[in-house]
Amino acid sequence: MLSRRNLKPGFWLVFWRELTWLRRRKFLLVLSTILPIALMAVLTLVFSAGLATRLPIAVLDLDGSDLSRTIIRMVDATPDTAVAQHVGDLAEGRKLLIEGKVHGFLMLPLHLERDVTAGRRPEVVFFYNTQTLTTGNLVVRGISAALPTAAAGIRLSLRTGQGQASDLAQADLTPIPVQIHPLFNPTLNYVHFLLAALIPSVLQIIVITASAYSVGLDVETPHRLRILRRLGGGLWPAMAGKILPLTLVFLAVLGLSDLWLFGYFDLPLHGSRWLLLSAGLLFILACQMFGALLALLLRSTPSAISIATLLTSPAFGYMGIGFPRLAMNSFAYGFGALLPGTWYLMARIDQTVRGTPADLSLKPILILLAFVVSLVILAAWRLDSMRSRTDPAPSGPSPALEGATS
Amino acid sequence: MNALLAVYCDEFRRIFALKPVWSVLIGAVLIYAAFYPQPYVNEALRNVPIAVVDNDGTASSRELARLIDATPDIHVAMTLPDFVTAEREVYTRRIFGVLVIPQYFERDLLHGRPSPVALYSDASYFLMHQRISAGVTSVSRTFGAQVEATRLVGFGIDPVIASAVTDPLPLTSVPLFNPQGGYATYVLPAAFVLILQQTLLVAVGLLGTLPGAGLSSGESANAGPVTKVVGRLLAYLTVEAVVVPLYLIALPYFYGVPRLGSLAAQLFFAIPFVLSTSALGLVIAAWLRNPLMVQLVLAAIGLPFFFLAGFAWPVEAIPPAVHAVSFLVPSTSAISALVRIGQLGASLHEVQPALWTLWGLTLFYGALAVLIEARATRPQDRPKDRSGTPVPAAAES
Repeated sequence: MLSRRNLKPGFWLVFWRELTWLRRRKFLLVLSTILPIALMAVLTLVFSAGLATRLPIAVLDLDGSDLSRTIIRMVDATPDTAVAQHVGDLAEGRKLLIEGKVHGFLMLPLHLERDVTAGRRPEVVFFYNTQTLTTGNLVVRGISAALPTAAAGIRLSLRTGQGQASDLAQADLTPIPVQIHPLFNPTLNYVHFLLAALIPSVLQIIVITASAYSVGLDVETPHRLRILRRLGGGLWPAMAGKILPLTLVFLAVLGLSDLWLFGYFDLPLHGSRWLLLSAGLLFILACQMFGALLALLLRSTPSAISIATLLTSPAFGYMGIGFPRLAMNSFAYGFGALLPGTWYLMARIDQTVRGTPADLSLKPILILLAFVVSLVILAAWRLDSMRSRTDPAPSGPSPALEGATS
Repeated sequence: MNALLAVYCDEFRRIFALKPVWSVLIGAVLIYAAFYPQPYVNEALRNVPIAVVDNDGTASSRELARLIDATPDIHVAMTLPDFVTAEREVYTRRIFGVLVIPQYFERDLLHGRPSPVALYSDASYFLMHQRISAGVTSVSRTFGAQVEATRLVGFGIDPVIASAVTDPLPLTSVPLFNPQGGYATYVLPAAFVLILQQTLLVAVGLLGTLPGAGLSSGESANAGPVTKVVGRLLAYLTVEAVVVPLYLIALPYFYGVPRLGSLAAQLFFAIPFVLSTSALGLVIAAWLRNPLMVQLVLAAIGLPFFFLAGFAWPVEAIPPAVHAVSFLVPSTSAISALVRIGQLGASLHEVQPALWTLWGLTLFYGALAVLIEARATRPQDRPKDRSGTPVPAAAES
């Protein structure tokens, strides 16, 4: 402590003061470390399965034939769906669907087998719930995969019945098969898609609001801002000393969650780790300066936190992970472009799953850099204008003050 | 009864006297109503740009590309010479898929041999991948079946039999409840419930932590703990009686979200939802004891609550223990049940478990709030405790 008291004004003095504050103000420390880690743990647990498999569906089998039982067996065997219930009529199936016990139900009509072998093309109907889009798409994918497999055998027998040689008939079962290669996430793993994007989104909210809080406490009382500047021996070292301790804390939190994603959930790192790291650093700095600027502009901690919450809590939708930005209206597209998270997630997806070549992955990182630079300039400009307003005597402002302290 | 009325009136006055409270309960609620839905108002992802690498260059391959371009889902934005060039365009996000039509596509097709095409779709954005693969698969299936049926007819097979042979067991998928697969229809009803919960939690949390500013009349200050808690809950219920219909009825209507269920059932269900959320807010206020902490903590935890509700991510995939604990948050029951009533047309009877869960939470958090209130007021000479503490973090150091 003693040695620190002897420190000259400058970056380190403010830096150490901020760290001491952080230690003394337990709440800010909890808010910036334990809370995000706890939330990440919860989200990680929620998505730990990675894939949603064996989603329950109901079956209404009006035929009870060998064919209908084969279809049911195949539907149950696909990874996406599991036959959870057999129902007696449509109303019962609807009820199960509405109560949320099943995600869809399959109706196999009477005389299914007889009509199929006679070439009468009976209709198999699958009702599914698209109010929950994710599960709706998954169950219909399962059924659409299972049914053609069951139908394949029938087609073969229909065809040989028409007098075609069996091997020839086999060949043209699907005239144009589409070989689908999902690029970058071949197993369609939700951990690599959604969880990897959700964690930075939660962090964005926390970094922006916590920075608004931390800077707001200094801004609320004008003399504290002056003290800060004097301790820093100038505007720039004071700002850096104020901001950087929390940058390190948040970077550690982000690093911890990434270690977990890369180490435990096998999130691939196909790109450059240095680009990922610099994008992460710029993202955190941009969020911090965003929060700081709100505090400087509004000059009241509660208002700064409220506005920060208002702007960041709907941000996940604007960043285009679930619903792509391409399809948004121009307001949403524009607002999304103003969020640091939009560009960080882009850079992050580039460097992790996509493995974008370096020359094509600079754009989001440069935009983040532009964010940081312009936010720092705005904050400095705002601080200067605040000072000229609070200091009535404009005679030789900063050199005199700095001279007095050293 | 008089004491209850006094507490109720006091709390009601405080809601509108304290600027941070009404700016959340009225201001933020109105802003979110316009701001939150904006990314989704276009409902559907259409015309996803893809590239075609046509190594065949025949009438059939061009016809396939044209048919794919004609679907509402996909737009063939460019025709490129090879996959490597196309891959670079995928990296720049100008296109989100590449369809490679191999050489001899037409020859194989006309000879009745399987003639595969390869689709590379950008799965770093699931919705893009899903749109592209669904679109290409359905076009190539119909195109293929058409070619095949024509070929069989050419062999002298009866056209009816020919189509039965190519597709003997047609599957009709009937999407219920959100037939267009609209994204706004999917997200908004659930998100609105979460916004209701979060704004109410913040408002109640602020009311419990901000200094009263001498508004309390003597009668309400001397009321018993049960009266105090019940009076406050009723005051919040009164304000929410205006906000809830806005969010559950007016906004979905305004944004064109289809509705099947009864309004009365939704509003009836909203009562325990509002009460349990308010009671939880009282508990949070007593725990955090500082208005800034209330704002900061609640801002951070909103997004995870959405994914706990079993809406965006199926309940079956959430570990059972996590799912069980998540019922402590009202939104877990409320999101799924209110959506099922409103959009699926469920009756109150069909959401009974959720209804009872929320009444249970109301009792549980209400009892906790009463206990906290009783402990805070028991020593008669320390009533200042509540109004004296609220500013510590800001004031110290």
